Amino acid sequence: MSDSKFSKPPRSKAAKWTRRGFIGVGALAGGALIVGVAIRTGNPVGKLKPIVAGGEGEALINAWVKIGADNLVTAIVPHCEMGQGAQSTIAQMLADEMDVNWENIRVMDAPADGNYVSQHTVRTFIGPGTVPNRPNQASFMEPTYDGLFTQLGKLGDAYITGGSSSVRSTGQYGMRIAGAAARQMLVAAAAAEWGVPASEITTESTMLSHAKSGKSEAYAKFAAAAAEQDLPRAPRIKTVAEYKLMGMPAPRKDIPGKVDGTAIFGIDGGPEGQELKYAAVKAAPVVGARVESMDATVAKTMPGVLQILNMGDFVAVVADSYWQAQQALGAIETAYTKSEIDGLDSEQMFAGFTKALDEAGAKGGNTKADYGDAAGALSSAALKVEAEYKVPFLAHATMEPMNCTAWVRGGKCDIWTGSQVPLMARSGAAEGAGVSADDVTMHSVLLGGGFGRRLTAEYTNQAARIAKATGYPVRMIWSREEDTTQDFYRPADISRFSGGLDKDGKLLSWNNVHCTEDEPAEAALVEFYDIPNVSVRNAEVEMPLRLGSWRSVAHSQHGFFVESFIDELAHAAGKDPYEFRRTLLANSPRHLAVLDGAAKMAGWGSDLPEGHGRGIALARSFNSIVAEVAEVDMTGGKPRVTRMYCCVDAGFAMNPDGLTAQMESGIIYGLTAAMYDEITIKDGRVQQSNFHDYQMMRMGDAPRITVQIINGAPDNLGGAGEPGLPPAAPAVANAIFAATGQRIRELPIAKHFA
Amino acid sequence: MKPISLILLAGVAPLGLAACSSESEEPVEQIIVRQPGEAAPVLSGVANSPGTADIVAAGKAAFAACAACHSVQQDGASGSGPNLYGVAGRAAGRLNGFAYSEAMVSSGITWDSAALNAYLAAPSEVVPGTSMSAGAVTDPERRKAIIAYLASLSQ
Repeated sequence: MSDSKFSKPPRSKAAKWTRRGFIGVGALAGGALIVGVAIRTGNPVGKLKPIVAGGEGEALINAWVKIGADNLVTAIVPHCEMGQGAQSTIAQMLADEMDVNWENIRVMDAPADGNYVSQHTVRTFIGPGTVPNRPNQASFMEPTYDGLFTQLGKLGDAYITGGSSSVRSTGQYGMRIAGAAARQMLVAAAAAEWGVPASEITTESTMLSHAKSGKSEAYAKFAAAAAEQDLPRAPRIKTVAEYKLMGMPAPRKDIPGKVDGTAIFGIDGGPEGQELKYAAVKAAPVVGARVESMDATVAKTMPGVLQILNMGDFVAVVADSYWQAQQALGAIETAYTKSEIDGLDSEQMFAGFTKALDEAGAKGGNTKADYGDAAGALSSAALKVEAEYKVPFLAHATMEPMNCTAWVRGGKCDIWTGSQVPLMARSGAAEGAGVSADDVTMHSVLLGGGFGRRLTAEYTNQAARIAKATGYPVRMIWSREEDTTQDFYRPADISRFSGGLDKDGKLLSWNNVHCTEDEPAEAALVEFYDIPNVSVRNAEVEMPLRLGSWRSVAHSQHGFFVESFIDELAHAAGKDPYEFRRTLLANSPRHLAVLDGAAKMAGWGSDLPEGHGRGIALARSFNSIVAEVAEVDMTGGKPRVTRMYCCVDAGFAMNPDGLTAQMESGIIYGLTAAMYDEITIKDGRVQQSNFHDYQMMRMGDAPRITVQIINGAPDNLGGAGEPGLPPAAPAVANAIFAATGQRIRELPIAKHFA
Repeated sequence: MKPISLILLAGVAPLGLAACSSESEEPVEQIIVRQPGEAAPVLSGVANSPGTADIVAAGKAAFAACAACHSVQQDGASGSGPNLYGVAGRAAGRLNGFAYSEAMVSSGITWDSAALNAYLAAPSEVVPGTSMSAGAVTDPERRKAIIAYLASLSQ
């Protein structure tokens, strides 16, 4: 590959990057500075060197910022843009620490290379104890940990966008330090050139100035010299009082392209100047089944058809256009082999859940939390309350269906697609094309929705296999039906509770057993509520389907379970549901503040029209605390959610506009599922197929949403992408109860009003 | 070393959850009809003209785009939009059990062919504030067919 193509900035999101080419930028572009959070050569702990550095003298360089000769500063972000705006917010954090004005900031995807794994995300996920309390509070072990976690990330292909973690991990522990370090190196370079003390140099708006001598220059002038400076060991980062851009609603960098149509999504990506052919695919409809035979007699006579492929596990038609490919695919008669789950249906699975819960009984199953004496306190309780809740399997239904463009030739493979895990997407394509991962170039483009769906790589594998068979570039697009029936589903669950109250209505005992294995593990836990005796367990069940992470993961189920049951307990105790929760939050001041905030916004306790009801719910997920109040109108015979009030404490809102948008988005996504949707299985097959039977919430049905932000812990950031979702369903179910006395114990809600 | 290897083990498990089963198997069967750039073979009997079937049938086909929101079953439940069985001649915003926009309720429209035609052409211009944010039918022939179909339902 010619290095010359890296001598100017990439033209689009789809521009080609490789590690070698990328590292070359500094020298080739002239006057460019590349700074990373260093993972140093010569590890201080000799034993760990083989883990940290791949070969003799090799440094793991994690370069996240570059300065161009035009004084534009590019943040190279190891997270994807799927509508959530994290790239832009992370760039904002870099700009603030580096004293770059927002207009001079550009954003790009980090190349899909092992050196760009989101080690800070990996740390936040799995080693929270190792994350320093302050971003620059680097311990002696820091380089070792960074190296270790990078290596760990590489094992799992964990260049990952998920877990509501980008801003609070990569932004907080990576990009801010990279920005502060870059600023410090620029100052050092200017100090040397001007012959003045570094302490007398100030920085503002991408400019260096020395007041006494009147000297002032752009960052670009010192970029090359700055790159020669030593990386500061622990660059000083700003205190909250010093923030200029952080905490401000800086306009998102991804919006203009999305408005003017120049943004490149997966479905638009592909080689420039190269004619593309289109593939439509249909996989065996039952997990474990394969294509036994296909009859393409009619399909091969249809307009535009180039090739028809039986790939063993799926059938593909390649044609001049997508529509022609899809029409021909529909004309193919396919027979499938038997599968072990041919007879599976969801009712049968739920019966299995019930049996597992019966067997777990009052004490069995895997213990998730156990303190006090939950069983003892229950048996001596003045009032005992029991309830069982049920939620279905769910699909992601991203607006942009799964797709990938692939071109396999000469032992190399290029793919264009949107992925939450670009390295895994690359590995999937490598396997499909029969080449090594290093021979695959992943062109990362925008995602038309993620929600956890794009954490898998089966679609890049499919596209590469088709492209390998054809030899020419092919854009594979799944139909909506394929997308709905071949998803990795949010697991269904049944959750049972028994609670014990004393004669004054004080909650003494909390017993819960449910089926799913919780991810994150804290999802079913209620330690922020002041309940002295708690037992939370899960029973193991079989779910022989393709299962995956769905926005807020296990919080999506337990938010509904826990907050519905708290509401039932409140009513059983004869207390107001908001006041009942307040009494349980004496030791959780941030939770209490958020709950109070939502109640106040909603005018809790004020009169509502006849047939209307108000419900409240509180949830903690991904280190953020969110309370929501829903108002429903039941006068039409079925629920209409008219208002949602949301109060969120995510530690500190780096971009309040972005946090607000994510709360709104989480609420709408949560309400869509809670109101309408379920994936059901019959004869091993998913029964839903498109938006007529897997509905989205339309604008006419969407409530007005108001969001209020509390910055309750500026050094302890929480996530934004997911935490708005868990309280939405229980807030609405509780509002329906308030309006009608009808308790919703099973989702979707529409089922009860058919 | 010990604590660190524990972290390693704890970390690999959750990351493995998202793994996929990648395959590199060759096609079981590959039918190459033609290569890109080659002329398509001459086909017979696949040309399909839209036909000149009666206007109600054409309207029923065109209504498929509306059916995601509107039921046309007699006594069927309303969806995101009101049930349209018997809409021809009905007063706007009066179907029981459907939460119309204020704008629709107070529009004073009666749904004769001319009113339906104008509304379908530009819903938000005829009833500013309507919840029917999508569904404008720009093609006059399609509008005519849809209106004929709706009128046929309650006859």
